[in-house]
Amino acid sequence: MTAPEKTGTTTSMAGHEQIPPDLYRRRRADRSYRMLGALITGYERLSRYSWRRRPPVVAVNRDLHLVVDEVRQQADEVVSLRLVHPRGHTLPAWQPGAHLDVVLPSGRMRQYSLCGDPTDRHSYRIAVRRLADGDGGSVEVHDTLQAGSGVTVRGPRNAFPFVTTERYLFLAGGIGITPILPMVRTAAARGVDWHFVYAGRSRESMPFLDEIAQLDPHRVWIRPDTHYGIPASGAELLEHAPEGATVYCCGPAPMITGVRLDLPASRAEALHFERFSAPPIVNGTPFHIDLAHSGHSLQVPADRSALSVIREHVPEVAYSCRQGFCGTCKTRVLAGEVEHRDHVLTDTERAENMMICVSRATSQHLKLDL
Amino acid sequence: MSSDKNVSPPGDVGDPDRVALHARNVSFDWAELPRHWVPNDPFATQMINVLHLLLPEGERWFCHVFKQALPLIRDEQLAEDVRGFIGQEAMHAESHQGVLDHFDAHGLDTRPYVDQIAWLFGKVLGDRGYGGKQGQEWIIERVAIVAAIEHFTAFLGQWVLDAAELDRAGADATMLDLLRWHGAEEVEHRSVAYDLFLHLDGRYFRRVRTMAIAAPVFAWLWARGVRYLMAHDPTLDEKAKARWRDWLRTGKRGLTPSYRQFLRSLPPYFRAQYHPSQHGSTSQAIAYLAKSPAAQAAEHGS
Repeated sequence: MTAPEKTGTTTSMAGHEQIPPDLYRRRRADRSYRMLGALITGYERLSRYSWRRRPPVVAVNRDLHLVVDEVRQQADEVVSLRLVHPRGHTLPAWQPGAHLDVVLPSGRMRQYSLCGDPTDRHSYRIAVRRLADGDGGSVEVHDTLQAGSGVTVRGPRNAFPFVTTERYLFLAGGIGITPILPMVRTAAARGVDWHFVYAGRSRESMPFLDEIAQLDPHRVWIRPDTHYGIPASGAELLEHAPEGATVYCCGPAPMITGVRLDLPASRAEALHFERFSAPPIVNGTPFHIDLAHSGHSLQVPADRSALSVIREHVPEVAYSCRQGFCGTCKTRVLAGEVEHRDHVLTDTERAENMMICVSRATSQHLKLDL
Repeated sequence: MSSDKNVSPPGDVGDPDRVALHARNVSFDWAELPRHWVPNDPFATQMINVLHLLLPEGERWFCHVFKQALPLIRDEQLAEDVRGFIGQEAMHAESHQGVLDHFDAHGLDTRPYVDQIAWLFGKVLGDRGYGGKQGQEWIIERVAIVAAIEHFTAFLGQWVLDAAELDRAGADATMLDLLRWHGAEEVEHRSVAYDLFLHLDGRYFRRVRTMAIAAPVFAWLWARGVRYLMAHDPTLDEKAKARWRDWLRTGKRGLTPSYRQFLRSLPPYFRAQYHPSQHGSTSQAIAYLAKSPAAQAAEHGS
């Protein structure tokens, strides 16, 4: 017996009479465990009556319905939006690095870092760069949201937490400035040792230069590629790190990779970076899934995972890492051929199961035990 | 446990408290692990080693219970926390399993003890084939038990993050990284099980009664584990025994949590206004994760 999942999970009360052997005298059943088993079983019987006065589970709706108070052009193709409560209510507090889930009028949901002042409890600010060849979310923000538009947001949530320390190096690349800006301001207000490198294609494309100009110029290096060329290495960016600094980095993937590779040789000590969501699907082909229990019949497009499609119809489906390593979304396959892309299942397990977060189908159809 | 809610100056945003959780795809290599990874201290080594025997089964059971609790949740943000929690716990279980496999391959047979733990979590605390109200009640009861155990794992996590004495004693660096990565994630997600319990039930009596069961059983399993490992350590004398006075010694030196620290960690759970966020430091946990070799390698997908 190994994991509870792998054993008979419908064990009846009588099922645990197989008391495990004693640790030292292996031929006899362990007496303490016999007592423990009896104790917990008795306890479980009593707990069955707990439902009587148990309060019902109350649904929690955390949607915030806000309005766009102001749209401001911050740079070429970058706008910032100030969001407020329609009746001026106080908004939930946040800390540097936090983001909002923003539900756009089309129903798309996008995450944007909060880039305003965390001590301002009456407005949120986000900034969005228009990506004409993106997935349409940023274009929708630019083209449809204007002062007075209503938006629903959820959060704030913090996936890039800002830790108090004595020495910082902040690295921002392009629109990656958004989570970094409140961090820089907070560090400056605290009077600790910090340096800030802000890279971008050109000054015209880099938002918030006016606000950054108000910070101590000796600690800030504005680094447009038009003047300095594309950063050659992480080491170049890390050059300004104070001894033992904690690095906060947000920018394009090559920038983060460069910083990571060169960090050990630098004066900096620790690296925090904004984590990107699940990597894009490579070489996916569309397939069809049937869910045996719920009866859903779903089409999985080439650029989406089975999990993301299933979630829309079965919201309680279990998953966690969405990258095929934690094992949470293991699902039994009742029919069809699986293209396994996970890093966790053994060959024996693969014969009957798949990780729906990353794995796909080689056959046209899959039937899953969901 | 240091209960330092960081005091911030007025107008400051303070330290991060709740963070969005995600599992980290860590891996560890145990080929070079010395038998007594706290040098010259078999007792301290084996006392902490008990965790490798308890946790894989225990944490898989957490995942199993929480997966069943997911459909009961009516708060999308809490469900998100629970999903992050499940992934982290699954990685903890697998990582400790790696140490366990190393022990089994190197002459320390842990199976008799682990089989007992598996029986406890798989059968006694496993699913009982109930449906309807009874089934739901058994899920919630076990969520309350997980919340009680998580009070201790948060205490232990904070302890190991603070345990500078282990560094001074020259403890194995990879083992320390495993324990601190795990400890840091325990501190990072310490509120999730309790918040889930609050959401699904939240009654004081149920909270304290599950702790009244969990605390003594946890202590008993640990003591049995130390005794078992000391008795089966192939490098120790046949008559080697785990003695209470060894624990007094290692506790005093700071190589293991002391009995006094354990006892002090318990009463807060019985306070009406208890919340896990009142204890431990999320900042310290996150700061460790930003320099943990295993966590950093995992974050960058190497």
